[in-house]
Amino acid sequence: MNDIRRDDAMLTDWREAAGCFERAVGSAVLGQERAIRLVTIAIFARGHVLLEGDVGVGKTTLLRAVARAMGGAYERVEGTVDMMPSDLVYHTYLADDGRPRVEPGPVLRASEDLAIFFFNEINRARPQVHALLLRLMAERSLSAFNREYRFPNLQVFADRNRVEREETFELPAAARDRFLMEIGLEAPRDAATRRTLVFDPRFHDTDALIAEIAPAILDQAAIQGIAAAIQHGISASPAIETYVVALWEALVRPAAAGIRLPGIDDMEGLVQGGASPRGIAFLVRAARVRAWLEGRHWLVPEDIRAIFPEVMAHRVFLEPIHELRRAEIVPDLCRAVFDTVPAP
Amino acid sequence: MRRLWLLLALLAATPAAAQVHAIEVRTPRPFGYFLGDLVQATVEIEAEDGFVLQSASLPRPGPLTYWLDLRAVETETAGPRQRLRLTYQTFYAALDARSLEVPGFPVTLVRDDGRGATSAPVQVPAWSFGVSPLREVQPPRRDDPADYLRPDGSAPRLDPAPARNAALGLAVLALASLLWLALDRAWWPFRQRRTRAFALAQRQLAALARGPEGEAVYRDGLLALHRGVDQMDGRRVLADDLPGFLARHPAFRPHGPELARFFAASRLAFFGGGVAAARAQWPLARAAATARGLAAAEREAAS
Repeated sequence: MNDIRRDDAMLTDWREAAGCFERAVGSAVLGQERAIRLVTIAIFARGHVLLEGDVGVGKTTLLRAVARAMGGAYERVEGTVDMMPSDLVYHTYLADDGRPRVEPGPVLRASEDLAIFFFNEINRARPQVHALLLRLMAERSLSAFNREYRFPNLQVFADRNRVEREETFELPAAARDRFLMEIGLEAPRDAATRRTLVFDPRFHDTDALIAEIAPAILDQAAIQGIAAAIQHGISASPAIETYVVALWEALVRPAAAGIRLPGIDDMEGLVQGGASPRGIAFLVRAARVRAWLEGRHWLVPEDIRAIFPEVMAHRVFLEPIHELRRAEIVPDLCRAVFDTVPAP
Repeated sequence: MRRLWLLLALLAATPAAAQVHAIEVRTPRPFGYFLGDLVQATVEIEAEDGFVLQSASLPRPGPLTYWLDLRAVETETAGPRQRLRLTYQTFYAALDARSLEVPGFPVTLVRDDGRGATSAPVQVPAWSFGVSPLREVQPPRRDDPADYLRPDGSAPRLDPAPARNAALGLAVLALASLLWLALDRAWWPFRQRRTRAFALAQRQLAALARGPEGEAVYRDGLLALHRGVDQMDGRRVLADDLPGFLARHPAFRPHGPELARFFAASRLAFFGGGVAAARAQWPLARAAATARGLAAAEREAAS
């Protein structure tokens, strides 16, 4: 049924590699199959990922496991309230001879090979740092030491604590829009998984757990090329194009699409903005990767639906009065959009 | 000083017969009353300023003798005069014209000047009024005893039209309100029967099957079945949702494999760009047959 073309052999090989990668990460991070699948999609869609979740659910462990399994140069910083952009770019210290030195900081240290930049607790950093990230994420470039650095393979992973609000800075909309996905991480519900996580000593020592993962399962340097091949190789039929545009329209103007949400009288003014063309382009990009991972050469509505909340939810801006209840309203809205828009 | 106080106290307590100047009983006429007539009598008492009738001393309405009832007692003050309006009713069946005496009764007048009450007992004198018989003692003989009775007075005929019109109008209003309530509550005539989703799909597919075949027709046929499934579930059902759909609607479980083939064909036709392949796999005739089966299952589940 799927007429596999010859030049798709590479895609098939890479699909197997991606499966290995998922299994490797899954062996270290239990009960997070969906999050691991989404991170894999983000890797092959060349998108940045923001993980959000409670304390101790495994955000950092997941990202460390992903970083180890991916291979490539890896840098990690912890967001603090006194961190400044220059702390990311430069490393200043007094050398043995007593003279001050300025050397490349975390972002520049691995120079242009930097593959994964892991920003822990991103909302603890100041808006100045977020502004630096804007360019780093959007253009994968940075000006320092009077020249421009380019990071063609860079992928930013960030995590954020959802509970704490003290001494944190909300990410600006522009920075959030540059993340491909915002993945919410919850502790596994399954009783058996919980028992294992709590009682198996293997999961108590994170360093040893990460060290068990085979390093560099994916060829970091080739991902860029394979990502482009996926985008070209997975076709989108006119029906799916119509579907995505209808979804977009329904998300931005839910009242016109006939969507009613309980507890909200003013559906007309509910969605104030967001859902940018960049966001929709990201959506299709991620959906193509999902179709590829599922072994298809064409997009189906399920591909869109599987990644829609993670890719689109953080790009929708609600009326300020509803913004406080965002965590309930936006998932309901996404569900209603899929319940309303006909496919095909 | 003490003596003076004593004297004053004695003066205040003196029965004040002298303080009542005149008592008079008036009636509109002292004769010509028949059985059952009301007899009005007014007792006028002229007393010194400030004296009023003590209500506790007034006669109580009720039967006085076997032939006389006191029906009502009203009092009225007009300057120094105290008026007592009495309404009696006589039940005396007189055989000849005669005078009857209404017994007298005592009442008390009271003056309260703030320092103490002065009371004055007054005897209302007996008075009399004349009663007459209603008929002769020996009436002429009649054959039919009913003839002794007077015929009933003729009552005016009432016009039923206004009452009937009002009843009709209110009935119409009540019906209209009931209809409105039924509409509001979605009661029986306004209750939307659940549209038979698959019956509609079946009709559309049957209509398509009669027409010419083609890729567009095939797509329309698949769409009709898609809309049927969507409507049945109240949401958009994608291929991956089929197990959930069958779990929610167990009536269609026997058609599960056929629905799976339908979703596969639809996926191929709409998203895989293989309408011809899909038609070969799952032609429109099978779509129509599936819709027929689903519509039958739907009817069965609804009944």
